[in-house]
Amino acid sequence: MTVAMKVEASADRIQARKRGARAGQRWGNALFILPFLVVYLLMLVIPLFKGIWISLLEVDMLSNSADFVGLDNYVELFSDEIFIGAVLNTFYFVLISTPVFIALGLALALALNRPGRTGATLRAIFFGSSVLSVTIVTLVWKLVLMPHHGMLANITESVGLPSLSLLTSETWALPTIAVVTVWWIIGLPMMLFLAALQQIPREIYEAAALDNASRWRTLWSITLPSIRRTVALVAIIEVILQFQLFGQAQLMTQGGPNNSSRPIVQFIYEAGFRNWELGYAAAASQVLFAMMLVAMAFQVWLSSRKQAY
Amino acid sequence: MHLKVGNKFGDRLILAAVIALAIAWIAPLVWVFALSFKPDEFLAQRTDVMLSPPFTLKNYLNILGTSQVFGWTINSLIVACTQTLATLLLASLAGYGFARTEFRGKNVLFFIVLAGLAVPEQAIIVPLHAMFADLQMHNTYSALVLPRLALPFGVFLMTQYFKAIPKDIEEAAMLDNASRLKIFFRVILPLSIPAQATLGIFTFLNAWNDYLWPLVSASNPEMYTLTLGLASTQTNFAQSEGLGFLMAQAVFASLPVFIVYLFFQKYIVAAVSGKTVR
Amino acid sequence: MTGINLRGIDKRYGSVDVINNFELQINPGEFLVFLGPSGCGKSTLMRMIAGLEEVSAGEIHVAGRDVTHLAPGARDIAMVFQHYALYPHMTVYDNMAFGLRNVGVPRDEIDRRVQEAARMLELVPLLERKPVEMSGGQRQRVAIGRAVVKEPLAFLFDEPLSNLDAALRGRTRIELARLHQRLKTTMIFVTHDQVEAMTLATRIVVMNAGRIEQLGRPMEIYHRPATRFVAGFIGSPAMNFLDVDRIEAPNGFVAVRLPDGTTVQTSVPAAGLPTQSKLTLGVRPEALSIGAAEESDVLVGNAEVVERLGDQTFAHIALRNGELVIVQAGADSTISVGDLVGVRLDHSAVHLFDQSGIAYHAQARSVA
Repeated sequence: MTVAMKVEASADRIQARKRGARAGQRWGNALFILPFLVVYLLMLVIPLFKGIWISLLEVDMLSNSADFVGLDNYVELFSDEIFIGAVLNTFYFVLISTPVFIALGLALALALNRPGRTGATLRAIFFGSSVLSVTIVTLVWKLVLMPHHGMLANITESVGLPSLSLLTSETWALPTIAVVTVWWIIGLPMMLFLAALQQIPREIYEAAALDNASRWRTLWSITLPSIRRTVALVAIIEVILQFQLFGQAQLMTQGGPNNSSRPIVQFIYEAGFRNWELGYAAAASQVLFAMMLVAMAFQVWLSSRKQAY
Repeated sequence: MHLKVGNKFGDRLILAAVIALAIAWIAPLVWVFALSFKPDEFLAQRTDVMLSPPFTLKNYLNILGTSQVFGWTINSLIVACTQTLATLLLASLAGYGFARTEFRGKNVLFFIVLAGLAVPEQAIIVPLHAMFADLQMHNTYSALVLPRLALPFGVFLMTQYFKAIPKDIEEAAMLDNASRLKIFFRVILPLSIPAQATLGIFTFLNAWNDYLWPLVSASNPEMYTLTLGLASTQTNFAQSEGLGFLMAQAVFASLPVFIVYLFFQKYIVAAVSGKTVR
Repeated sequence: MTGINLRGIDKRYGSVDVINNFELQINPGEFLVFLGPSGCGKSTLMRMIAGLEEVSAGEIHVAGRDVTHLAPGARDIAMVFQHYALYPHMTVYDNMAFGLRNVGVPRDEIDRRVQEAARMLELVPLLERKPVEMSGGQRQRVAIGRAVVKEPLAFLFDEPLSNLDAALRGRTRIELARLHQRLKTTMIFVTHDQVEAMTLATRIVVMNAGRIEQLGRPMEIYHRPATRFVAGFIGSPAMNFLDVDRIEAPNGFVAVRLPDGTTVQTSVPAAGLPTQSKLTLGVRPEALSIGAAEESDVLVGNAEVVERLGDQTFAHIALRNGELVIVQAGADSTISVGDLVGVRLDHSAVHLFDQSGIAYHAQARSVA
C-alpha cells in the first residue's frame, strides 16, 4: 500500500469553479422571496417614505393640490395645544397602564404557573379576553359602565353608593380606559412571564428547597432574578403597545371630556380622516413613530445583550 | 415543589384570591351574555336580573333578520380567510427562501424585512389611504387585505421555524432526487404544519379584529367588517334603548373568535410568546 | 475507471482551506472508512462526494463519470445520515419509496424493492409506522433501507452509529458488515470511532486537518502507524509516548535513553532514521508487561490506578520522572495500587517517531 499523502498544492492548478448551472439555481432561490417582497415594497416601504414626504406638504383636498412647506407641519404641531395634550395623555396612559401590566401580569403568572386543570382554566380566563376585538371590548364596557343600568351601577347601588359616571369625568376617563385595556390584554404579559418562568430549571428550585429557602426567599432570590430580562422586555413591549392606544379612547370617550382622554393616534385619525389635513396628520404620525422607535431601539439593545441569568 | 405542609395554606389562599379575581374578570362577559337573552323592554327597567325569566331570542333573530350584522360577518370572513391564506403562502415561501436557500443580497434583504417589524401601522396609514384613494380602491376587499400582507411577522416566524428543521432531512430529499420546489411542498411544508397553524390562527384573529385600517378604508357600510360595524352601532349609543340588541351583537361578534380560541388556544399562546408549537 | 476517484479536491470556506489537493482512489466494492477527529474534514469530503457541498476545485468521478457538478440526486449515490434524516411525516414505506417515485420507477418495481429491503432489514412489520413511533435502532434500519432500495453505485455513511447505545451500536456494526458482504457495493463510512473503523473497513483513511495521515488496511495501520498522530489515534487505551534521547548503538539498531536514565535497545533499524537525538518512543500497552522492580532493563514506577476489566487488567504506572504509562497486565495480575514494579518492554514492538511525527518501526513487525 502506498501512503497517499500530498501536502503541498501548487497554486496554479486551482481550478476555476464551473458556476453556470448553479448560478441559475441561485437566482431561482430569490424567487421564494419575491412575492412577499413585492407586497412589502408596495404596502410598507413605499408608504413609509411617502408618509415622510406627505408630512412636508400642505395638502388641499378640495383643489387636489399640495404645496411643499418644509417642516411647517411639525412646527405647527408643537404649538398645537390639542396635539400637546394628546402627547401628554398618551404618556400619562402609558405611565399608569404599564406598571399594572407588569405587576398584575407577573402576579398572575406566578400564581397560575401550576399544572392541572384549575391552572389551565384560570389562565384561559385571563387570556381569553385578549382575542376579542377592540369594538367588542368597548361595547361590553360601555354597557358595564352605563349610568343607572350598567353592571357597575347595579353593584354600587346595591351597596348604597351613588352611580358613578367614570367616562364623563375628566379625572377618571383615562384611568378607566386604562382599566379596560388591562382587562382586555393582560393575557399577553401573563403569557410572556409564564413562558419565562417555565424556562427556569427545576433543579434550581430543588436546590433551594434543600437549602431551606422560604417561599418569599425563593421568589426574591431565584425566581425574580431569573426573569428580570423578561420583565424589562415586557415593560418595553407594553410601552410600545400602549403608545398606540386608539380604539378604546375613540369609542368610549371620543377623546373627551374636554380632550382629557385623546391619545396621539386618535389625533392622527381625526386630523387625517376627519379634517383631511393629510400633511398635518402625517407629521403627527412621524412624531409618534419617532417616539416608538426610541422604545424599540431600547428593546433591540436589551434583547441583543447576551446576559446569563 | 410546594410539598411542604406549611406552604399549603398559603397556596390555597393565593388560589382563592386568583379565583375571585377571575370571577370579577369574566363578570362583564357573563352579564352581557345573560342579558342578551332578555327583551329590550325588560332591560329598560332593570339590568340586574340574570338567571330568571323573561327570556327571548328576539335579539339574535334581529341580528340575523333585519340588521347589517350578517353582511358584516360575511365581509369579515372573506377578509380574514383571504388574508390568512395569502399570509401563509407568502410567509412560507419567503421564510423558506431566507432560512434555507442562498442568493446574493439575502442577508441585506432579511434585515430590511426585519426592520419592517418596527413600523407601526399609524406611521403609514395616511400615505396608504392616499395610495388606495388614487387607485380608487377603497371599499374593496383588496384594500382591506393587501396592506396586511406586508407585515413581516409571519416571514420572521416561518424563517425561524424553517431554520430549526434539521438540514439533513432536506439533504436526504436532495439525494432522493427531489427538486427545490418538490422539497418545499412535499417535505418542508408538511413538516411546518404546527407553524402554519400558529401563524394562520394568529393572522385570522388579527384580521378579524382589525380596526384602524378598515375604519379609514371602508367608508361604505356595505363593506364594513364585523369589528368595524360594531363600532358604528355604538357611536350613537342610545343609552337604555335597544340594550338587548347591542348585547346580542357583542355576543354574536365574539362567538367566532371564542370558538377559534377554544380550539386553538395553544397555538395562540405560542404565537404571542413568539414561538411555535412543536 | 470504476470506483470513486477524487482528483485534486480543494475545499475553502472563504479564505480558510479545509481540504487541499486531496487525491484518493476508492476501489469498486470496497468498504472504505474515513477516520479522524472531528473537524478533520472527513465529513466535508463525504458531503462533497454526495454533492451536498460544492468542491472549490478538483474533480469527482463515480464509476468513470465526472459528477463534480451534478446535483446530489443525479450521482447514483445513497447516503445514510448521522441523525437518520427520515421524513417525519411519511411512513417507513413512503420514506423508502420517495426517492424512487421521484425518478419515476414503476410502482410494482418500487414495491418489490421496498419489500425486499424491508425483509432484509426486518422492517416488514413497521412499514406503515412513522419515524416517531420507532426506536433509534429501527430508525437507523429505515435509513439504511432508504439507501438500499435505490440500488446505488455507492453508499455513504456519515457516522451512522454515533446515536445508538453501545449494545445496539455493536449489533448494527455487524449488520452493516453483513450488508456489505451481501451487496458488495462500494461503501464509504465516516467515523471518529476506531473500533468501527477497524472492524468494518477494507481500508482505512486516517485523516487529520484535511490531509490523509495514512491509508491502509486496518491491521497495517494498527501495527505500522505512519505517523505519531495515527499511532495515538488508533488503539485503546492509547499508545504510550515517552520522550527519549537517541544514543549510540553499535549493532545497526537504535538505542534510546529514557528520561529516568534507563536505556532501551529497540529493534528499529538505525538506517533511514534522521540523525536527530530527540525522538519519541511509542509503545502500546500490550507490548508492556509487569515485572519486579529489581529486574534489569525495566522502567521502575508505582502503580497509581489499576483498572480490572475481567479479561485483562490495565495498570497505570507512574515512572520515576512522573510520566504515566499504561501497561496491559494479565487478567489474573495481582498488582495493586501503590506497588513498586518494573515495566518490561517488548523491544520488537516499539515505534520511534522523529520530531516531525514520522514513524519508524521495529523490524520484527515489518510484515505488512
